[in-house]
Amino acid sequence: MKAIIAATILGIVMMFAGLQMKNKSSVVTLAIVLAFLLLGVNIWDLVATPATAPVGYFNNMLRIDRYALWFSTLMTGVTVLYTLLVGKEIQKVGVHVAEYFALIFFILCGVYILSCYNNMLMLFLGIEILSIPQYILAGSDKKNLKSSEASLKYFLMGAFSTGILLMGITLLYGATGSFNIVAYSFLQSDALNPLALGGVIFVMIALGFKVSAAPMHMWTPDVYDGSPTPFTAYMATVVKASAFFAFIRLFQVSFGSISSQWTVVLSVITAATLLIGNLTAVFQQSVKRMLSYSSIAQAGFMLFAVLAVNAVAWQGIIIYAVAYSIATIGIFTVLMKLKDYTYDGFNGLAKKEPLLAFVTTIFLFSLAGIPLTGGFMAKYYVIQAVMVQNQFLWLVIFGLLMAAISVYYYFRVIIAMYFKEGNAELHAPVTQGEKVLLVITCGLVILIGIFPQLLLSWI
Amino acid sequence: MGIYDIAFWILTVIAIGCALGVILSRNPINSVLFLIATFFAISGHYLLLNAQFLAIVNIIVYAGAIMVLFLFVIMLMNLNADVEPQKGRLVQLAGVVSGGALLLVLLAALRTAKYPTLESTPNEIGLIQNLGEVLFTQYVLPFEISSVLFLSAMIGAIVIGKKEDSTHSA
Repeated sequence: MKAIIAATILGIVMMFAGLQMKNKSSVVTLAIVLAFLLLGVNIWDLVATPATAPVGYFNNMLRIDRYALWFSTLMTGVTVLYTLLVGKEIQKVGVHVAEYFALIFFILCGVYILSCYNNMLMLFLGIEILSIPQYILAGSDKKNLKSSEASLKYFLMGAFSTGILLMGITLLYGATGSFNIVAYSFLQSDALNPLALGGVIFVMIALGFKVSAAPMHMWTPDVYDGSPTPFTAYMATVVKASAFFAFIRLFQVSFGSISSQWTVVLSVITAATLLIGNLTAVFQQSVKRMLSYSSIAQAGFMLFAVLAVNAVAWQGIIIYAVAYSIATIGIFTVLMKLKDYTYDGFNGLAKKEPLLAFVTTIFLFSLAGIPLTGGFMAKYYVIQAVMVQNQFLWLVIFGLLMAAISVYYYFRVIIAMYFKEGNAELHAPVTQGEKVLLVITCGLVILIGIFPQLLLSWI
Repeated sequence: MGIYDIAFWILTVIAIGCALGVILSRNPINSVLFLIATFFAISGHYLLLNAQFLAIVNIIVYAGAIMVLFLFVIMLMNLNADVEPQKGRLVQLAGVVSGGALLLVLLAALRTAKYPTLESTPNEIGLIQNLGEVLFTQYVLPFEISSVLFLSAMIGAIVIGKKEDSTHSA
């Protein structure tokens, strides 16, 4: 609750800072300080809230529990890391640097709402607060036609999916007469109503769009590819992770008792997401585009957690969200340094910048799910969640097969860096500070891989 | 059949007929005009539900402001000619099949659905006074939080709309 207010206020502070500060780099410094401040507020919230039963605020509009607070804190931590790593690149996107950061703070406000919402209206508002700044950030590079295309495409498709979400909420309200996700009367499955089931499917499609699950993934490659790379890094990580948290919250807390009704549909969506994401990623020539398809593929694994209605799934989504976000932000940071976004652009990077090549390798290992990295533990937890459910063994086997395919396109980058001759051109030499930050990020990835329990100790 | 039922059926026929007109008419201007008529018919439905505020807002915002914008866009971009690109037969067929399947599923669901009665609330729920009270008590949080949404939309208007002056970027 404190964090929602703080994120809004800090966003407004950022806006006014844009009025006063003419120097771009001081704006970035301010944003980093404010991001740390927000992390502090989150930790304060986490410490001050007793670990007892969930607390409801404003007629149970929000229901704050440990999962919500901890997830908010983690996502703020990832955002701090993001501002530290990418802040300098955001300066280069356009002139409205302060506004970009203000929008990122507003996105965080949406993240907090989505982590603790207890009412369909708050879900809708959270999704919109998450999305609208993204439409703007996608189109912030106005001189680039692809950026404008990404923005328009994202906006139109996003507006359409919002319509579907609202239709779903309407059907659910019509069936149950309530917006409160805990009080839904079909929690007792004998009172099952076809109207409500229609609503569940509509909401599933709309949320599936937000997390770019197939067949609602069509927008993802174009939007991620067209948007300025610093903002792609944010869209693909924090935003996607919190959309997943909203997804799992609704489908476990509210629809969990009728899971037999929707898990089959969701399992097909999961399988399609894994298949399309991984197979299409293989054929990409640009690493940025490959990463956007890989984010679809990773969404397929995160859907495992939504599919498994149990406590392990919650742990899985938290570990997956953090491990995936950190590794993806890391790899995008390296990508931004390069002039050429194709695989050939990575040729010979290991000779020129051995450290950069090494951290990239670790990030790619994590995304591919190689043991001792965060990505391995993340995949382990979500797959374990499905195994506990003991229902979708075929999907687990299929998922492992697809993970094996993903190794191919992740390792193509590593092969280009280490075994191909070439002169990987950088925009600017990598500074000492950036190297330290990248090594810290890399350390975090390995730390999660060895001690995943660290991420669960606060729940 | 009382006056209420007669009004309901007349409004329903107008609403559905005009909605069909929106998608069936070739000329975009006609589509917009049909849409306005649809909104008026739906506002009539709101009035029947004793939701005066909603009815008026629907007319002002949708039939008024948004439709004027639509007409402006159509006139400025000179879209009134029938220049809609023709889709291939296969795409049309796929659209009809998938849309029809959705319609079937929804119809099947709605046919057997039970509708809980919402009569527990007083009949004056749609009046401005009650709406205001509910908005500022029960739904005060969504009401306030939506300001963040509008704020970010306003920033968007500035970021996208303002001319980027390269000399200013120090």
